[in-house]
Amino acid sequence: MHEGAITRQIVDSVLKEASNRKAKKVIEVDLLIGSLTFLNPEQVKFWYEILTKDTFIEGSKLSIRGSEAVVRCTKCNYEGSFKYVDDPALHVSMPTMQCPKCEGMVEIVSGKDCIIKSIRMSI
Amino acid sequence: MSKVSENIVKAEEGEVFDIELEKDVLEANRKLAEKNRELLKDKAITAIDVMGSIGAGKTSLIANLVQLLRKNYRIAVFKGDLTTTIDAEIIKRYGVEVVAINTGKECHLDSNLVMKALQKLNLDAIDLLLIENVGNLICPAEFPLGSDRRVVVVSVTEGPYMVIKHPFIFMDADVVVINKADLAKAMQVDMHKLKNDVKKVNPEAKVVFTNCRSGEGVSAVSKALDL
Repeated sequence: MHEGAITRQIVDSVLKEASNRKAKKVIEVDLLIGSLTFLNPEQVKFWYEILTKDTFIEGSKLSIRGSEAVVRCTKCNYEGSFKYVDDPALHVSMPTMQCPKCEGMVEIVSGKDCIIKSIRMSI
Repeated sequence: MSKVSENIVKAEEGEVFDIELEKDVLEANRKLAEKNRELLKDKAITAIDVMGSIGAGKTSLIANLVQLLRKNYRIAVFKGDLTTTIDAEIIKRYGVEVVAINTGKECHLDSNLVMKALQKLNLDAIDLLLIENVGNLICPAEFPLGSDRRVVVVSVTEGPYMVIKHPFIFMDADVVVINKADLAKAMQVDMHKLKNDVKKVNPEAKVVFTNCRSGEGVSAVSKALDL
């Protein structure tokens, strides 16, 4: 939903990091997008191409990996993915805050993040 | 054995490096939200974020809550909208402090706008802050504001599938209000099915049926919010 604004921040961060390190060229940026964000990887790539145009990082590759949300149970300490509940009549499965192992409630550990993991650059 | 000084590995011209950055670009909003939370806590203000789709009845719910609670609380309201002060004026009639937050083209409030709005208030003169988010069931879920509790309002006129279509916003909700209960029959919407859907996503959310036109159910909302 906010790919334009978020990609602007990504490009600014990469530009800053690359110029601080006096990079000649940025080859690849490794980005991790959590499954609980509303960021569409295709849109992020689309914006990345536009926003890096005419900068010294133009032509660098943006590699995007998705990361599944991790939750932790407040009762039994289960840590892992969400439990999904199915509605067979509607062919949908909804994530639930209920623990897959016990009846406890889970809290979200990760999945709401969009992290620039690393930048490959030549110096 | 050669001297260390003669055996240095040097980066050559054009050498490639992988720089580990681990920078979360969504963190800026979360940090500001924490600042808001600390400020509100410091001033002993309870803040409630009211989210929901367009036309679900967020403003009506707030207007009702204001009337119910103004005897016991010194209330201020932040009214988020893309443009206009129409809703802000409606709430102002009930004699409480209202700050209109016009986002321009943004589809949600963020913690920076809330921080700016907080600067417009005398924080020593209030103890309850109701924040009406922009009408939207998607983006506000991604932008915490620093409130103590989050309310999501849906209404039967949006049809029977709002919860299963937008489960993420209900995950963080403390209270879910299902509004326009008086129209459920005409809309052929089963409110209990909507409630069950909320309970599936978030078993701990308190669900309240309301008719904000008549005020029915509003005291139950207030109770669910521990006010």
